[in-house]
Amino acid sequence: MTAPVATGGDDVHAPGSGAAERRARASQSFWAVVVAVPAVFSVLRLGVEAGGELQTTLLLVANVGPVNLLAGFLTTAARLLATGLVAVFALGAVLGVSVDRLPGHRRPLFARWAELTPTWFVLTSFLLALTTWQILYLPLLLPAFAAAFQLRPERLHELAAARVLIVAALLGGWLFLLAPTLLDAWQQGEPLVVALFVVPPVLALAIAGPLPGAVIRPLASITQAAVLAMLVWAALPVISTPVLPLTVTTVQTAPDTTEDVRGHVVVVDDVSMVLLQEHGGVRYVPTDQVKAQVLCPSEGELPRHRLRVRDFHVEDSLLEALGRRVRPVHRIDAACRVTG
Amino acid sequence: MNQFLTRSRVRSVATTLAVALTLLLAAAAGCDSRQEPRIPSVNDKLRETHIYGQPTIRIGVSTVGPLMGELRDGTYAGFDIEIARYIAAQLGYAGDHRIEWVPVSTEDRIPALQGGSVDLVVSTFSMTEERAKLVSFAGPYLVTTQEAMVPNRLRDSIRTIEDLRDPRYKVCTSGGSTTEAELGRHQIRVFVVKEVGDCVEGILAGRYDAVSSDETILAGFLSRHPKDFTVVDMPFGTSEQIGVGVPISDPALRDLVAFFLDKSYQQGRSGQSSPWLTAYHRTLGPWLRQPKTQPPTLDVPELVDFDDKVRPS
Repeated sequence: MTAPVATGGDDVHAPGSGAAERRARASQSFWAVVVAVPAVFSVLRLGVEAGGELQTTLLLVANVGPVNLLAGFLTTAARLLATGLVAVFALGAVLGVSVDRLPGHRRPLFARWAELTPTWFVLTSFLLALTTWQILYLPLLLPAFAAAFQLRPERLHELAAARVLIVAALLGGWLFLLAPTLLDAWQQGEPLVVALFVVPPVLALAIAGPLPGAVIRPLASITQAAVLAMLVWAALPVISTPVLPLTVTTVQTAPDTTEDVRGHVVVVDDVSMVLLQEHGGVRYVPTDQVKAQVLCPSEGELPRHRLRVRDFHVEDSLLEALGRRVRPVHRIDAACRVTG
Repeated sequence: MNQFLTRSRVRSVATTLAVALTLLLAAAAGCDSRQEPRIPSVNDKLRETHIYGQPTIRIGVSTVGPLMGELRDGTYAGFDIEIARYIAAQLGYAGDHRIEWVPVSTEDRIPALQGGSVDLVVSTFSMTEERAKLVSFAGPYLVTTQEAMVPNRLRDSIRTIEDLRDPRYKVCTSGGSTTEAELGRHQIRVFVVKEVGDCVEGILAGRYDAVSSDETILAGFLSRHPKDFTVVDMPFGTSEQIGVGVPISDPALRDLVAFFLDKSYQQGRSGQSSPWLTAYHRTLGPWLRQPKTQPPTLDVPELVDFDDKVRPS
């Protein structure tokens, strides 16, 4: 895989071949992370899914194709991936523009990554975040976008009065769009939701620009460490998210006895259906004993809030909300409530 | 120059604040998304109930109440039965093979719940304060009034409560019912039998002259003998809330039943077909003089479920 040609970030403070070399190294490390992390995660997930059992892992490896694995990973990890990229580009741009003012300062890692990345890739990352982030967190994209592209209110109009009017109109429209949700959130005692919807647009107005010199170094080290730590922390649930869909299979064990098996279907052939049971262990069920099978949601998919933004649930991403428009009805099957 | 420096300083302080606040909000959002949900889920509640882990659910029903709860040719049918099937399915017991129907008479409903021989009672069970001290109720799923049913030969003679007080007429009702108490309050001498069906048989045999009970129960017997009886609308003045009986020791199960009844109510309110409406039209609907709608459920708990993200419209 070849790294794309860098388009921005003239590094005036480190001229010559040293800068080019450093740039190439940073580019390599960036792409290594982007490509290697999904691959490693996909394999790690199989091990976790198998409950740490070697033979079960091998069974999964034998039956889950690499394309399925990668597609499954992207489905569940796209949100995390977008979050990581947006955080790097937004922080990188803020740190980069701040360091520019201080000659001789070593450029922070994120600033170098942000400069090396072509604009189309940054835009794609924001687009990925826009479609995969929960609607509740989407307002945070506004300050992140303003920071990544260093957009100031001055870009809106030359005249200060006109700028104020435009900003007031934009904020007014924003509040009008969200007013019912904000009211509901307030009544339900959700101050964080109110803050997440109201504060970010205001922050977006002030976030572009250089930081004071004294802040740059501590901010760079703390945020870089924090973002990496956050990604590792957020990656843990992604590793433990199942690769295979959850089902409840009704098995007829005797003429008048049926049993519901909750688990993931690994493979089905003429002889048996191989089920990875939710509470552990693999079970081979003769195919002719399988009476019914339903797809079930996992506990992790339960909503945490009871709020909507204009018909869209705040915990849906725009992609999911759109999907619900296309296939609106979803009723949980009684078998999914199988107990014990 | 000084002004420019001041503006630049203000701007850099504003940027610092904006960056710090954005990071703080992002961190708070991240932490919040990993915390335990504030609102319990249906599955959480289900784990708290005494039925968790049971392969089948035992539901106490009437077997002798036409249109409401009836055993005919080995199959249970009626409005109460349909409501019971809906609740059982929502609790994870879909299909009659997962339901153990337990026949209970009117007076056995409370002892059956107290003794643990049934998990729920769905048998035209009026929610009263007295009973609420002994069992829990989820509902109401129906609001009814008390009426009297008389044989056609007496339909011109018995028209008022005053007529029922006449010692010439023998008024019959089922034991342990709210009707019995209501008739007593109106000083009506009453013959108490085990089931309303016994009263109807008694009237047909000439032993009694009138039967008083809940309008739905009477509608059921009217549907069975449409040519023999007339339902007389009497101003008893009380309406009854019919609910699902749950053991008083299991508040989680009560909450779940109330949640599912409310789910049906919300579906009906938004103009959709609801399980309640389907049950009503298949059973009671054609036989009631006044069409009914599902009443709002009382004390509905706040729970989340998997289909919450779907807009109920």
